[in-house]
Amino acid sequence: MKKLTLIIIVSIVLYSCNSVKAYEKEKINDPDMKLAARTSERFETTFQVYREAAAGANGGKTGGGCGCN
Amino acid sequence: MKIKLVLAIFLLGSTVFAQEKDSVPAFKKRVLETTEVDFLLSYYKQDGIHSAVSGGSGTENLTDIASSIVVAMPLSDDEVLTVDAGLSAYSSASSSNINPFDSPNQNPWQASSGASKQDALVNVAISYSKSSADRNTIWNVHLSGSNEYDYSSLGFGGGLTKEFNDKNTEVGISASAYLDSWRPIYPKELEDFAKNGNSLNGGIFDNYTITGNQNYNPASFKFHDNKGRNSFALSLSFSQVINKKLQASLFLDVLQQQGLLSTPYQRVYFKDVSNSYIDQFQLADDIERLPDSRFKLPIGGRLNYYINEKFVLRTYYRFYSDNWGIQAHTISIEVPFKINQRFTFFPMYRFYTQTASKYFAPSETHLSTEVYYTSDYDLSAFNANQYGFGLNYTDIFTDAHIWRLGLKNIDFRYNHYDRSDGLSADIISLGFKFIFQ
Repeated sequence: MKKLTLIIIVSIVLYSCNSVKAYEKEKINDPDMKLAARTSERFETTFQVYREAAAGANGGKTGGGCGCN
Repeated sequence: MKIKLVLAIFLLGSTVFAQEKDSVPAFKKRVLETTEVDFLLSYYKQDGIHSAVSGGSGTENLTDIASSIVVAMPLSDDEVLTVDAGLSAYSSASSSNINPFDSPNQNPWQASSGASKQDALVNVAISYSKSSADRNTIWNVHLSGSNEYDYSSLGFGGGLTKEFNDKNTEVGISASAYLDSWRPIYPKELEDFAKNGNSLNGGIFDNYTITGNQNYNPASFKFHDNKGRNSFALSLSFSQVINKKLQASLFLDVLQQQGLLSTPYQRVYFKDVSNSYIDQFQLADDIERLPDSRFKLPIGGRLNYYINEKFVLRTYYRFYSDNWGIQAHTISIEVPFKINQRFTFFPMYRFYTQTASKYFAPSETHLSTEVYYTSDYDLSAFNANQYGFGLNYTDIFTDAHIWRLGLKNIDFRYNHYDRSDGLSADIISLGFKFIFQ
């Protein structure tokens, strides 16, 4: 039942997706709307990787390259 | 079940017909118009009471100053080369106690004056990306290296990104590998004990008197034979513009690590072994021992919503799980507020929670008969709250210049971090973006 609910929700979200034309994307293209961490966030991410067990799933480095957890 | 499957396929299939095909060839814009340069600086300070170097009890005072320069250069209309170089220098009371016997007083709550008190990390990464003529396909490769006193890393990888549906949908796949190596540093008392044939004759034991259990005998300690540490990751990403004001992304990583995954200088004290001291510093029973493999699975997503001309809502959630018994949740929210055309203020909040690794236990809790053990509180159960703010200055006309570099952005961020086990930290970050003119 949970899987079916998730499939329906995702399908409704995708169904409600409108194909937004390039000239209609002035709001989507706002710098604050970017689907990524800000460049200046990198040092915060670095200390979080050292001080916390979790890492990754943010579009950037996933692990390795340091003697951290 | 079959009816449910058919219903799901019908709903998904209807989205295909809802999308229009590209009927007009896209104008080929240069991927990167001109060279962009980012200068990044940060100052980080932390303190806590559970130093892993002294077995889970001791000062965690640490200060770090880091800087990076990122230069992105267009090689052609379709190609970009990015060079990222960084230097980070830290001073740590905790790591100074890898060898606390350099100082006249040995105390886990005070810094020693030894060489391990400070270190510098140098890192360089080069990446190359090429876009197709229609800009719907981007592939990239990268190579990186880093070095500090006791650790070296060589990394490489590549990825492919596809955009379609009027660039409203983006899917990506990438893979990376890090071939790292320790140059292990061990707690001084264990190193001298082992180098002198598992005896108290020689090294620091000639200069100091052991109190408490004077039959100090950490015979279980052995130097690491395998010093390699490799990480292999596969990453998948999916982004979708949902409507004119809302877009979302999903990220899934699969990461396998192998090799020396414990930290060679982090002490462990056993419950079933009597304590030995030099001055106020308890001598290690062993160093942390962890499995030589670890599988990590983080999955996260972003949802950004353009509320109005003044406010944007940025959100992020991540679930993490690994085979060391840790599960974690991360949630963050940021609300940029446009003060005017040039200044944006953004308050932010982040909450993090994790369960403990099955190999973790506080100081004086592990038994000497266990195979794997650590008292590193980074692997314990805790919650963390991080809150702060940022200020961004943007000048799209780049009125201010340094030589031929026009100043486009200044980003300032401050965050305070509190962990439920007593560690707290503050970090200030500053970023300058220039474009070459």
